[in-house]
Amino acid sequence: MSDTITTGIKLIPASRFSIGQLTAIYNQTRVDYMVPMPMNEARLVEYINTYDVDLGHSLVAMQDEEMLGVAMLGLREGRAWLTRLGVIPNTRRQGVGLALCEGFLEQAHNLGINFQMLEVIKNNVPAQTLFLKLGFYEVGELLVLRRSPIIPPAEPVVADAQRLDRNEALDLVGQDRGTQPWTNQSESLSNASEVSGLRLTLVDGSTGWLVYQRQKFLLTRFAFKTQTGNPVDMAHAFLSHLHHQYPRLDTHLENIQVHDPHLPAFYEAGYLESFRRIEMWRGSPPPSLTGGEH
Amino acid sequence: MKKILIVEDIPDNAELVRRIMVSRGFEVLHAADAETGLEMAMSSHPDLILLDLGLPDHDGLTLAGWLRAEAAFGQVPIIAYTAWPPEAASHMAETYGCDGYIGKPIGSVKEFAEKIESFLKA
Repeated sequence: MSDTITTGIKLIPASRFSIGQLTAIYNQTRVDYMVPMPMNEARLVEYINTYDVDLGHSLVAMQDEEMLGVAMLGLREGRAWLTRLGVIPNTRRQGVGLALCEGFLEQAHNLGINFQMLEVIKNNVPAQTLFLKLGFYEVGELLVLRRSPIIPPAEPVVADAQRLDRNEALDLVGQDRGTQPWTNQSESLSNASEVSGLRLTLVDGSTGWLVYQRQKFLLTRFAFKTQTGNPVDMAHAFLSHLHHQYPRLDTHLENIQVHDPHLPAFYEAGYLESFRRIEMWRGSPPPSLTGGEH
Repeated sequence: MKKILIVEDIPDNAELVRRIMVSRGFEVLHAADAETGLEMAMSSHPDLILLDLGLPDHDGLTLAGWLRAEAAFGQVPIIAYTAWPPEAASHMAETYGCDGYIGKPIGSVKEFAEKIESFLKA
């Protein structure tokens, strides 16, 4: 362990900083990443709104007048989410990340939240080790997928296809997704703009639906379900209709469960794995999120 | 004079490319995000687009795929400019319709310039 600077660190509520300052510190923490994924202010605002980030309980680590890192706290009923955690490169391995994580847990505790969630990039061993040390445990592996619009879409599978407006789509998603990865929970879709859906009945009587967000250049935030029938056939059908309708749009999907039974149809439609994340929890989901079950 | 559009959010990186290619007789335009890059590509009709993949408003590959589907850019070389590992960079660039990729950081100015010129001659 190298020298620690934790004694001089102050954790300041993120709400005391401008969006410009928060965007800058976030980007600085990612500047040396292989895939930096920078954000501009508009994207950070969208992120905060979509994922219910509570800036009043999110933290910026400071030493003297210098911003060293950031940890954001997403807040929904009965659960908190640790996100956008990062430390600027030249102050890593000196206790700043640990201080931010401990600060996050304290904020959650002060809010009365005993169930915390996060995702960490697979093979980021230092971060995973830190989270394990703080009491998080692994609950699953998640896929980040993308599909290029260069790939010609398949012909739409013959089916009774019904387009769903925002309200119809959100009704199908329902409100019982509180233990799904944060990005895919009901609130994430409710908060997002341009959400719509597709309900299909195949010729063999199988039924299912897909809900998605359409951005300017991108399809994203999928929720889907096979109500009756084979999940691969259903996914093949809804993807064929979707990509036929939007042939020019790129597609990004985050945090799909690695054992999702629909996945073979995604790979067949040209989806590629960008990387994997590990989903981690701390504490147990409250009964309100599990339908009373533990 | 051949025209190169670089879409890159880090000013130092863009400036380095500009200096290298201007010294070899090219006109270099710069956009710092994907939306501006798309606007400049549509309005200025560059002969080659050098595209950072980590842009702050939209993913660089998303922009590549969009541009590639535009009839006006069907034959314009689009080159991914990225620090990704070579195998991933090559595969993703091809998947999104790029003509190739150039790795960051620039190791040799001469090799960088020659690679850009080779895409323009191809």
